[in-house]
Amino acid sequence: MMNTGITGDLIEVLFVLILGTAAFVITQRALRSLFTLYAIQSVILAAIAVVLFAEHRTVSLLFIALLTLVIKGFVIPAFLRRTLVVLPTKRDIEFSYLTPASSILLSAVLLFIVYTSFSNVAEVLFSDRLFFLGGVIGVSLALMGMMVIFSRKKVVSKIVGYLTMENGVLLFGLFIAEMPFIIEVLIVIDLFMLIVLSTIMAFGIDSSIEAFHKKLTQLGMRFED
Amino acid sequence: MDFPEFSSGIEDKEAVVQSLFWVGGALCLVATILPLVLLFRPSRLLRQAALWVLLAGTGAISAAAILVISRSLDLHLTLLSITPQLALSFRLDKLSCFFVVIIGAVSFCAVIYSITYIAHYKSERSKQFLTSGLAFFILAMLLVVASSTTFGFLFFWELMSLSSFFLVMFDLDKPETQKAGIFYFAMTQMGTIFLLASFLLLYRFTGSFDISAAGNIPQWGKGLVFVSLFIGFGTKAGIIPFHKWLPYAHSASPSNVSALMSGVMLKVPIYGLVRFIIDVFRPDLWWGIVLLFFGSITALLGIIYAFKEHDLKKMLAYCSIENLGVIVVGLGLYVIFDFYGLRVQADLCIYGALFHTLNHALFKSSLFMTAGSVVQATGTRDIEQMGGLIKRMPGTGAIFLVGACAIAALPPLNGFASEIMIFQAYLTSFSLGRPILEILLMAGLAALALTSTLAAACFAKAFGIIFLARPRSGAASAAKEAPFAQLLAPGILAALCVGFGVFSYQLISNVKSGMPLPDILPIGIIVLVLTGVTFLLLLLTRSPVRKTETWGCGIPSQTGKMEYSGDGFSEPIVTVFKPVFRTRKLSTREFYDKYNSIPRSSSGEIGTLKFFEERLYMPIARFFMKIAGAVSNLHNVDMDALILYSFIAVVLVILGVGWWL
Repeated sequence: MMNTGITGDLIEVLFVLILGTAAFVITQRALRSLFTLYAIQSVILAAIAVVLFAEHRTVSLLFIALLTLVIKGFVIPAFLRRTLVVLPTKRDIEFSYLTPASSILLSAVLLFIVYTSFSNVAEVLFSDRLFFLGGVIGVSLALMGMMVIFSRKKVVSKIVGYLTMENGVLLFGLFIAEMPFIIEVLIVIDLFMLIVLSTIMAFGIDSSIEAFHKKLTQLGMRFED
Repeated sequence: MDFPEFSSGIEDKEAVVQSLFWVGGALCLVATILPLVLLFRPSRLLRQAALWVLLAGTGAISAAAILVISRSLDLHLTLLSITPQLALSFRLDKLSCFFVVIIGAVSFCAVIYSITYIAHYKSERSKQFLTSGLAFFILAMLLVVASSTTFGFLFFWELMSLSSFFLVMFDLDKPETQKAGIFYFAMTQMGTIFLLASFLLLYRFTGSFDISAAGNIPQWGKGLVFVSLFIGFGTKAGIIPFHKWLPYAHSASPSNVSALMSGVMLKVPIYGLVRFIIDVFRPDLWWGIVLLFFGSITALLGIIYAFKEHDLKKMLAYCSIENLGVIVVGLGLYVIFDFYGLRVQADLCIYGALFHTLNHALFKSSLFMTAGSVVQATGTRDIEQMGGLIKRMPGTGAIFLVGACAIAALPPLNGFASEIMIFQAYLTSFSLGRPILEILLMAGLAALALTSTLAAACFAKAFGIIFLARPRSGAASAAKEAPFAQLLAPGILAALCVGFGVFSYQLISNVKSGMPLPDILPIGIIVLVLTGVTFLLLLLTRSPVRKTETWGCGIPSQTGKMEYSGDGFSEPIVTVFKPVFRTRKLSTREFYDKYNSIPRSSSGEIGTLKFFEERLYMPIARFFMKIAGAVSNLHNVDMDALILYSFIAVVLVILGVGWWL
């Protein structure tokens, strides 16, 4: 059980940092910084897992931290950066439905909504306040990732949104659901495959989804002939 | 003791009824499947065999129902029990069997008619389909009225609606048929939804799907159920303003099907109303007023619309609306008189309504069948293209005349016999002692009287324009008499019309004695004698006929164009009811110059506003089209928007969690 003291404070600080990176992910236009932000966010997540391990002494937490650090902190961002080589534009300035400013405002509202909604069921679901905060921030992070997916036009940014969402799920899992380690590993492998595939298809990654779809259909028609 | 013997006698009868019912149903099912056995090689033999099997099936079920009525039996049968609550079970009592007899007898004649009628279609595939659909439609109708649970009722009701929908869509290449199909499908489904709602409400209140258990529910719930049932049944029965599908569907479908739809299917919702209002619930006064109001409007508007129609089958369809209105008036009056405890008047009304249901089934199917023969012979439904058919199709003409006299409520025919019962009840309603209600009843009486008059005028026009004078088109002058089966079937029905009219007093007193009714038998004898004497005199005093060209004011010979037309006949009455028809005169002019002095072209048009279609149905349809368009725009989107939707959904779920938990 998480008591007061240094670990609790530390985790709360890390929560704030995570929210900060999420806000930057929503607004950042330069792609290289976007990837770096994602790497930082993943490292913070790993740090949270380590702090939790220090408190709970569950070995799987350590593994999760390690896995997150290596794959999400270094390998995936490295793959993403390689796509920049073929991308003609290095900045994503196209947005749909939401501008970055309104996205920030909306995420604040979302955080509030999730907080109040969860506080109604807090007694049943969460064993203490820190876990409750972890759940709230995990869900909010997932929703922010979703916002990134639908508000950005470029596929690479969408991928970052998806990765952010997954980070949210991981955070939620760390504090609430006690996700089995094996599933955590599988999710990471999924992510990894996604990134690899995306880099392979880097020829289409500069375009938006519609244009990409068009290219795919052309490909399909060639096969039919 | 002869008591045990007596009871075993009853059990014997029940066993007979039961086996007749099952055998009849099974035969109808066989007739449905038989034409489809050789799906890709339609066989004429199998099709004919199916019709004979169907004939036997309807005969068996009718016999069972007649046995039930004559022995006052009350049988419960179960076909299939999915759970103890959801069962397809049947109840054969006097009321349901009365309707089974109507359906069975008319279907019997319709099947005879179909034997040669179906043969005139070109494609073997469509003949095969029509035979099978007909059998299934008849079976579904029979089982609706026999059902004892709301579940079974709705199940067979929907089978009936769907099979009739496919039959309406028979000529699906014609745009007119497509329009009819869409109207029919949308409206019949709307009706079903209201029925479903009321049955679910009943289940909510009583916890049972049994129809007879529906009586004990709270007063407000009863009112709600009644309104919902009224809309549901009213849509099927063509009660104005839910009637619009009826003229389209009846005119678009093959004539044997329209005879069944108009003669029989419209009676099924009447059965529903009677069952629920009289047998299950104890109705409130306002139910009666609602029924009376809508019934009167339906009767009057139905006949007014029928009058200006020159599509033969549409005219008959509007007349069906009128007659259904009369039946609903009877039911409404029953509720009112029953509420105030006037037994005699209440009995007059309910027996009058039920008798009129039977009579309408007889004469309307007979009329639709003869109309079908006429349409088949002339190739058109426009009565302005007919004329002079009595010389070319004397049998059909005579049967149509009997049907027309019956529907126009001329004594001594059956239409008169049943309408007089409702008039009788109206006329004795002064004993009610409630001034406002009496004024309402007098207004209703006036409306009913006007309806009857217009019905007579309408059929004077129909018979005159179709059968009398000279042919108005080449097709009419080349018309040939219908084959024997197509004369036999409506002929049986016409004979029943005469029989039920002349012996109505004896029939009704057999069922319920002491009703203040006129005995039509003497009138019948007088009419018979007078007709005989007239014919005899004609024969005796016949002078030799000299055949020569009449002097035509210097014009060499008369043509069909010089005859009195149907539109000419109806013009005075159309003028009187101008506000109802909303006659519109449209004229457009185009000019060569901007000062509008050199006309280029002009056009003029006189039409009537289809009030319900243009002011009620189409706005509703457009509203839903708009919603449908918006919804379709919502899901024809790119991936981003789909993710946005799921985002919104997730946020809503989170909000919901916070709100309710």
